[in-house]
Amino acid sequence: MAVANPPPALAAGTLIEPKALMGIRSLELRARAVVEGFLHGLHRSPFHGFSVEFTEYRAYTPGDDLRYLDWRVFARSDRYNIKKFEDETNLRCQLVADQSQSMTFGSGGHTKAHYAATLAATLAYFLHLQGDAVGLLTFDENVRDFLPPRQRADHLRLLMLALEKPAGGRATDLAAPLERVAQLTRKRGLVVLISDFLAPLEQLERSLLLLAASGQETAVFQVLDPAELTLAFERPTLFQDMETGREVYVDPAAARAGYVEKMTAHLAAVSGICEKLGVAYQRVTTDQPLELALFEFLEQRRRRKTRGRV
Amino acid sequence: MSFLTPLFLLGGLALALPVIFHLIRRTTRERTGFSSLMFLLPTPPRLTKRGRLEHWLLLLLRCLALALLALGFARPFFSQTTTNAAALPGAARRIVLVDTSASMRRAGLWAEARARVDLELRAISPGDQMAVFAFARESRPLLSFGDWTATPPDARAALVNAKLAEVSPGWGATNLGAALIGAAEALIDTEGQTLTGPREIVLVSDLAAGSHTEGLQGYEWPKGVTLRVETVAAKAGTNASVQLLADPTDGDRQTAATVRVRVRNAADAQREQFSVGWVSATGGALLGAPVETYVPPGQSRIVTLPVPAGAAQAIALRGDDEDFDNTVFVIPPVAQKLSVAYVGGESADDARQPFYFLRRALPTTPRLALAVTPVPPGSGVPGDAAVVVVTDALSAGQATALREQVLAGKTVLAAPKNVAAAVALAPLLGLATWPVEEGRPKGYAMLAEIDFKHPLFTAFADPRFSDFSKIHVWKYRRLDFSARPEARVLAKFDSGDPAIVEVPVGKGRVVVLASGWNTEDSQLAVSSKFVPLLYALLEWSGALAAPGAPQAVEENLALSAGPNEAVVVTGPTGPATTLPAGTNRFTPLQPGIYRFEIGGRTEVQAVNLDPVEARTTPLPTDELERLGAPVARSKPSAVSPIGQEMALQGAEAEGRQKLWRWFVVATLLFLLGESLLAGRAARRSVTAPASLAP
Repeated sequence: MAVANPPPALAAGTLIEPKALMGIRSLELRARAVVEGFLHGLHRSPFHGFSVEFTEYRAYTPGDDLRYLDWRVFARSDRYNIKKFEDETNLRCQLVADQSQSMTFGSGGHTKAHYAATLAATLAYFLHLQGDAVGLLTFDENVRDFLPPRQRADHLRLLMLALEKPAGGRATDLAAPLERVAQLTRKRGLVVLISDFLAPLEQLERSLLLLAASGQETAVFQVLDPAELTLAFERPTLFQDMETGREVYVDPAAARAGYVEKMTAHLAAVSGICEKLGVAYQRVTTDQPLELALFEFLEQRRRRKTRGRV
Repeated sequence: MSFLTPLFLLGGLALALPVIFHLIRRTTRERTGFSSLMFLLPTPPRLTKRGRLEHWLLLLLRCLALALLALGFARPFFSQTTTNAAALPGAARRIVLVDTSASMRRAGLWAEARARVDLELRAISPGDQMAVFAFARESRPLLSFGDWTATPPDARAALVNAKLAEVSPGWGATNLGAALIGAAEALIDTEGQTLTGPREIVLVSDLAAGSHTEGLQGYEWPKGVTLRVETVAAKAGTNASVQLLADPTDGDRQTAATVRVRVRNAADAQREQFSVGWVSATGGALLGAPVETYVPPGQSRIVTLPVPAGAAQAIALRGDDEDFDNTVFVIPPVAQKLSVAYVGGESADDARQPFYFLRRALPTTPRLALAVTPVPPGSGVPGDAAVVVVTDALSAGQATALREQVLAGKTVLAAPKNVAAAVALAPLLGLATWPVEEGRPKGYAMLAEIDFKHPLFTAFADPRFSDFSKIHVWKYRRLDFSARPEARVLAKFDSGDPAIVEVPVGKGRVVVLASGWNTEDSQLAVSSKFVPLLYALLEWSGALAAPGAPQAVEENLALSAGPNEAVVVTGPTGPATTLPAGTNRFTPLQPGIYRFEIGGRTEVQAVNLDPVEARTTPLPTDELERLGAPVARSKPSAVSPIGQEMALQGAEAEGRQKLWRWFVVATLLFLLGESLLAGRAARRSVTAPASLAP
């Protein structure tokens, strides 16, 4: 699924080029730059003030607990309104970030891992600003770090630290982290999975299904390098698998057609699975500004919500 | 052009490598990290066409660099015919040091040493220079470098052998340190020539432990000079030696004269039982009953032998295999007769008077028969007395007679007991009148300002013995020597008055003591200084001969000959020889009894082997290394002389020309050019996006 056209406020000129963004050393600063730039861009926009799950009042109906009646509102408006609980209204978001070796590939000056970490940090910062609880799970072939969703101020810092850890591991196992999330996250919430999905997909469908069954709303970001999409190499060299270390002599000119075909099929399979399970799927390449990804994410959420309410 | 190590030219085969690499350049080993190989299929590598080479300039540079490197390693040189091999700067200089010390007299050693020198002569190449030095206590050249180069190459070996035939081991000690230093200095003294060849000392020696190597300790060995040791080893056997010991300190008190010798057995000895006895100076059988002694290997025993009556002049050891160190020559001690005349009237038994103490201070010993003869008042002083002691007033006749003797060279010790006795000395001192008065110090006086440089007091110069303050003087005569300015005050009292004064009179001298050693005057007689002072006086007067130091072979022997006195030497062998008049040095070349006739006197001197030379246990070569000598381990290789000569000439020419340096420099330049070119080519060919792997 391609990124939707950005609103005029997010047109070129206000966006930060990923190359320039990745020059910022601190992950937190990067996230803040993206979010603040984004919010700045949204100024005077029709989307001002929307929230993922904002607190609301509902009209009192007989039988409601009087303890939750908002007397201040009653004093102002002479209407009985019931205040919804924080727990009910605040979003619990679990970010699941891939930190396997395959994420360390990058052709444009920064790696997929950097880009994915910045994306995760941006989401975390944005949600944290809104008062939502954000958690993080990083994985390669195993689960590396797990931070349950919290809303405390220092939690964001811990999250950034976990994201800044260098990628490792020799393989990507998508099933184990998702199962773990399903086990650990009892309450309903949002699970955002960020990975390149360059791994066999047999388990992916089952895992996503498991998440959906446990009541989690799921969003998927597939992070890819532009060179991965087109095999943008010229000289024949030994290609070395970053995860397994396996070496294969490849002449890109000769192998490109077959590669692109297989890659397209793989991408279609991923998006197909997501479509089937109702999972929001978004493919981003590392040369795209992050604001667009954030915008697209929020836009999807908004549409789903609208749809849900409808 | 020739090559010193032509095998390295095979390295030129490596030229094929760059050609092959240029052909198969496309089978790269360059790696590109990629996220996943899931969608990649291996492509078979393509080769460039065999007939086409890319980057031919790079290939040329690489081939040239390899070829030049191979040539450089092959050590090329331009061969040239050498007319004068001796003038070659790269020629080796070698000094063969042949040990001719007494320890080389052992059976078979000298023949083996000559064989070793012969081997050296065979191994040497015509371009090299060689000198042969013989050494024992001193080192002397048998054949110098000049002689060597002046001799035709084919006659050199014969010349060296002829020179060696003229020498044989003598009796001298081994002064190895000095010999090595001398040889090293001779090697670095190139007489203005620039010689770059190896310089080597070949030491042909038995390396006996008794070799004096201490000279090497402070010596900084010159750079480039190496030492090769060719040790000649004696047949395994027992070697014991005998060494004469100095008289024990209490020897004068012994009733019978004895001689002590040390018998030392070598550490590698096989026998332990030896007999020691007297023999005649010419050797032969033991005279009388020998003393049997048991000396374990590596140890020594001291044997005391009574001096026999008769012609025995040597002590010999029997029972070992090596004879050269088995005899020591001894001049049996002869008791010296000395008479001291005493002018004083007191009784010999009066324990307060000077005579009583004088007799006890000069007793008779086996070495010295001292007679203290009292001279009755008024009678003449005997002329044969070595020293005359005067304590009482001399009569006018006595004074005149004594003055005659003093003028002829006699020594008089005058210690006047009173003012009258002191005044009576005036004629002896050549004074008409002599004002003398009695000095009475307050309490007591002490000796001060002693002239320790005077022969009378040199024995007390050491601070341990120089304390004269315990001798208290109660009475003394205040003497005035202003009329005799040549008088030398040897000691003063603490009051400033002269205490001991030497007055030269003619050839002799009068030593005047202002205070006597009688108990009334002072405590001198009962002090520890009294007896040494008297013996110092006897020695100073020339009457008492000082004990002679042991004399070793090849050490200079001091003779007491006057300027015009001829010296006739009779050695242990051969007829008497007359030394030129005025000679006062003589170097004995073999052990034995030497008799010197000097102007009617006869002096006899026993000359013995240096006792250290008898220590024949071989010295480890490490010892020389420890002293800083660069001992080389390798032996000369057994290459045939002609082939070796060719190789050496080639090596010399190559060493001079050093063409390989230019080849290496050229190689480096080509490699630099290659690196620049390759770097430029690589930059140009990089067009693909570089992968970025952290």
